[in-house]
Amino acid sequence: MNTTEGRVPDAELRKNIFAGGLMGAAYGLLIGVGTDRSLMLTVITGILFGIAIGFRFSVRPPKMRYPMYMARRIAYTASFFLLSSTIYSYLIDLDLSRLQIVLTTLLPTVGWAALVISIGMAIANLDELQRRIQTEAIAIAFGGTAIFVGSYALLQFAGFAQINVGVVVLIMSLMWLVGKLWTMWRYR
Amino acid sequence: MKNRLKVLRAERDWSQAKLAELLDVSRQTINAIETGKYDPSLPLAFKIAFLFGLQIEEIFEPGNEG
Repeated sequence: MNTTEGRVPDAELRKNIFAGGLMGAAYGLLIGVGTDRSLMLTVITGILFGIAIGFRFSVRPPKMRYPMYMARRIAYTASFFLLSSTIYSYLIDLDLSRLQIVLTTLLPTVGWAALVISIGMAIANLDELQRRIQTEAIAIAFGGTAIFVGSYALLQFAGFAQINVGVVVLIMSLMWLVGKLWTMWRYR
Repeated sequence: MKNRLKVLRAERDWSQAKLAELLDVSRQTINAIETGKYDPSLPLAFKIAFLFGLQIEEIFEPGNEG
């Protein structure tokens, strides 16, 4: 089985470049639609960036030993999430009924759920040490986010602005990354 | 827990990557076991023992924790 550890065959390299390019294109499209910049520019930049990631991923693989197809699945579901978010940001500006607004708002949730499930499946396929690293990282992210949310809830009483839930997800993701780097360093 | 994994691997002239491949784990896991930072699960310890044709206690021995 081809994993993300070790140099991959050319066929896998092409698939990785395609997956990276697709994810980059979807990200570029979202940025273009969201910021009213030139779509052509953002999409091409995204594709090039995605191709670079796909290439780098193949020739200098990460330390985590995912089966390669699972790593690509994450890229595909991320693309789906980004595309559904783009459709959402386009539709939400139209004159919609209350029900249509609710359905449109929930549209990216499908992509988001697919992305989270694909990450979970990839983690489940890691070896025992790497699963432990991920578990500890998730625990750090959970604990850190709980502290942040708890503290900020008190700060709101002191007049701080209300926070978007999306920011909480972003903070949780960043803490997961920090937790992962920290635990990987411990077991280096 | 102490172990002789590094010695056994060196005797066979295997790299960490090669041993990792044989055991179907990451090179990081082999390194962590060899340096004593991670104690493998019982199934992985059995797999290691089977690969080297030894008993588990011939590879792993209790450390300071008893």
